[in-house]
Amino acid sequence: MNAFALDTTTAPSDETVKAERELLLRVDNVSLSFGGVKAITNISFDIQKGEIRAIIGPNGAGKTSMLNVINGFYHPQEGTITWQGQVRRKMKPYEAASQGIARTFQNVALFKGMTTLDNIMSGRSLKMHRNFFWQMLWRGPAEKEEIEHRRKVEDIIDFLEIQAIRKTPVGRLSYGLQKRVELGRALAMEPDLLLLDEPMAGMNLEEKEDMSRFILDVNQEFGTTIALIEHDMGVVMDLSDRVVVLDYGKKIADGPPEEVQANQDVIDAYLGVSH
Amino acid sequence: MLYDIFIDPFVQMYEMPDFFLQVLWEGFVAGILYALIALGFVLIFKASGVFNFAQGIMVVFAGLTLVGLNENGVPAYLALLLTIAVMGVLAYGVERVVMRPLVNQPEIILLMATIGLTYFLIGFGEFVFGGEPKQMIAEQLGLPTGSTAFEMGERGLIILQHIDIAAAVIAVVMVAALGVFFNKTRIGRALRAVADDHQAALSVGISLNQIWAIVWFAAGLVALATGIMWGARSDVSFALEIVAFKALPVLILGGFTSIPGAIVGGLIIGFGEKIGELYWGGLVGGGIESWLAYIIALIFLLFRPQGLFGERIIERI
Amino acid sequence: MFYREAGQFKTSYKADQALLPILQDRIGLAVILLTAFVLIPVFANDFFLTSIMIPFLVFALAAIGLNVLTGFCGQLSLGTGAFMGVGAYAAYKLTSIFPDANVILMVLLSGVFSAAIGAVFGLPSLRIKGLYLAVTTLAAQFFLEWCFIRIPWLYNYNASGAIEIPRREVFGVIVSGAEATPIARYFVVLSITAGIAYLMANVLRGRIGRSWMMIRDMDIAAELMGIRPLQTKLMAFAVSSFICGVAGAMMVFFWLNAAEPSSYSIRLSFQILFMVILGGLGSLAGSFLGAAFIWILPVILKFVPGLMGIDMAAETVEHATFMIVGALIIFFLIVEPHGFARLWQIGKQKLRVWPFPY
Repeated sequence: MNAFALDTTTAPSDETVKAERELLLRVDNVSLSFGGVKAITNISFDIQKGEIRAIIGPNGAGKTSMLNVINGFYHPQEGTITWQGQVRRKMKPYEAASQGIARTFQNVALFKGMTTLDNIMSGRSLKMHRNFFWQMLWRGPAEKEEIEHRRKVEDIIDFLEIQAIRKTPVGRLSYGLQKRVELGRALAMEPDLLLLDEPMAGMNLEEKEDMSRFILDVNQEFGTTIALIEHDMGVVMDLSDRVVVLDYGKKIADGPPEEVQANQDVIDAYLGVSH
Repeated sequence: MLYDIFIDPFVQMYEMPDFFLQVLWEGFVAGILYALIALGFVLIFKASGVFNFAQGIMVVFAGLTLVGLNENGVPAYLALLLTIAVMGVLAYGVERVVMRPLVNQPEIILLMATIGLTYFLIGFGEFVFGGEPKQMIAEQLGLPTGSTAFEMGERGLIILQHIDIAAAVIAVVMVAALGVFFNKTRIGRALRAVADDHQAALSVGISLNQIWAIVWFAAGLVALATGIMWGARSDVSFALEIVAFKALPVLILGGFTSIPGAIVGGLIIGFGEKIGELYWGGLVGGGIESWLAYIIALIFLLFRPQGLFGERIIERI
Repeated sequence: MFYREAGQFKTSYKADQALLPILQDRIGLAVILLTAFVLIPVFANDFFLTSIMIPFLVFALAAIGLNVLTGFCGQLSLGTGAFMGVGAYAAYKLTSIFPDANVILMVLLSGVFSAAIGAVFGLPSLRIKGLYLAVTTLAAQFFLEWCFIRIPWLYNYNASGAIEIPRREVFGVIVSGAEATPIARYFVVLSITAGIAYLMANVLRGRIGRSWMMIRDMDIAAELMGIRPLQTKLMAFAVSSFICGVAGAMMVFFWLNAAEPSSYSIRLSFQILFMVILGGLGSLAGSFLGAAFIWILPVILKFVPGLMGIDMAAETVEHATFMIVGALIIFFLIVEPHGFARLWQIGKQKLRVWPFPY
């Protein structure tokens, strides 16, 4: 494939060592536009199994659009996405979910009318299979399945230290807790790839510390691959293994945090130079 | 069978152009009236985001008040002024009693409140003026009531009711007046500001309550005009309620916030319905007018979920 | 103090996930069931059963049906009346075709037909949302009403255009037709409504109920979590229409004895919608409370002037009723937009801390 050849030649040479680690996802020359507005232009990068991959860039750089492309919510006009070694066809978001991509949202997208427990239980939807008639009877298989998954959910509740708000409708929780419940909901899906869209936006220092700890734990304990968007550079540099930088829908840098930090294009994008 | 559906109606249209033109005219007039009801919806929806189900009933209520007052001995023009005053009181009351306490509620709750208002107005109107259908006092108001027949050479003739022509003219004048009001006056600007963002409008010193009272009054005036026109074509009675539901497909076609949309939507529904009924309705036993409008809107929706004039919706997350 | 759960410890997830985990609630439900199944049949007269209890239960079931769709799955429907009509006409045809079959079974089976039709009209819900969907359901309402008038086969070519319910026995007891006793009808209606309400309570607390609420609260997030939107919405449409269909069939079979197309008009749709909104969107108990309010209030209003010694024409009373119901709807929406169910919850909260106000 042409796109493949192009990508390897332009990739930095020290990347080839790391490329031996198994690739989870690979994005090749993806472009996305709405009407005449180009949101993403010809972006290629990859995510390796087990790493924490950060996507950063100024506002409007196309970061969230990139995540939307990865989990099938937007369909790019050009380019290919390779998921676990297979080129992915155009798919619906629920298909991406069933392949193991979970996600949290920039503006908390919890189910407002439901309790914390139900919200996290909803993450188990794909793993529960009892049909309508068993559900109607409840006694027996449906109840057994429900309890089985409740146990898993309670583990997540313990892990995130939110036992006390188990039965509280999420609409009543503080913003920081809502973000935490949302992480719990994504974890309940037991994903292969977890996409976090600004997990720490609007949090105070203490909440950020907690959230960083959870992200690292999820990555190291469960081995979940994480791709995150974040504006707090301290957090990004500390947590992530590799960083990709977008600006005006284009990729301007890709590599380990130290390298990206020193990149002149990145500094220009953030501090602003006249274009 | 296929011939009956795909060919025969068009042959008829060609062979009897006078009948076809008459049907078109009927569709045009019905469309104008649908558009007028939809116009009232649009005014309120634009300024407050409330889907005012009571608009159809306000039409009947205004007509009923006008006729009822006249029946009780009030001269026609004075009755008209009094009815305008009643619509003003109604607007103020609705703003005070319904809108203000329900501010910031989800749209379905507001919709429900206007359905409650519908029930209240039906009950109130019938309680005061009685339930039997009434005759509109078109003549006393100085509206033309005759008709003119146009001959089309040897191909027959079409008959135009003067009241229908008047309806079309009044509709055009009203839309133009509203356009000027929206775009050229201070209140119109405030209204557009409120439509865009309630809180931002409040923060620059626009009084939401005042604006709401004004739009409800404007919608009341539109309702009164519609009531007179419609009442002159048939009776004034709450049976009109069913017809008022057709404003919904009209709005779907035109978009909830577009005044030209309401007009075009009304005309599409009016034409579609009359032509459909008279040329195809007979095939399935007639009476398809009762649901054809909804099906037309539904088909449009499936291809353009945002309506004819709406912008393409890009879902964000 | 009266409603305190202190001391009631749950030691298993099973106990914690029970329908009514709190003892007082279980006692309350037992009292209600006892009243419904024993006290009312023993003490109530025929008027109370026919004019209040039977219609109340029928409407409560219809309200549950609509609540599944609108309250739990978030899809606004204005076509409830027509879906109830489909159930009624289907049950009528079934009993005409199979005169010896168990009529209760036929009533339940009729729900399958309305479920199928409901699912068809639910198809556009994939692309159309919110108020726009109302036009789809209005299309269903007017189209189906038209079918009830224009397809004579549906009403067995009766000259009157109405369906009249024949006499049918189940296990030797007459349950439908003019000769059926109110008490027999009452038990049939009560059992069906209570049974369906229980089964729905189970569905709603499990995976399927959650998937509906996910679609309602945030459809995009639900889809990104693996919920198939079309399948889920269609299921809600089908289940909702099934329940409404059964309610519509019960309406004519066990209450009215005869029905015309106008019995299932848009007015009925609105009536049920009011019950759901006033009772509380997304609450089964609310469906019962809303049905009680909307049905029983006009009945009471009809008798108030007479009791107060005021002589009013029946027509005037009807107009006044319309007015008062409309005003009360607005009033209750202002007092508590989340319906009686929320008022009830607030009440329970108050009882929990009584006699302290905080």
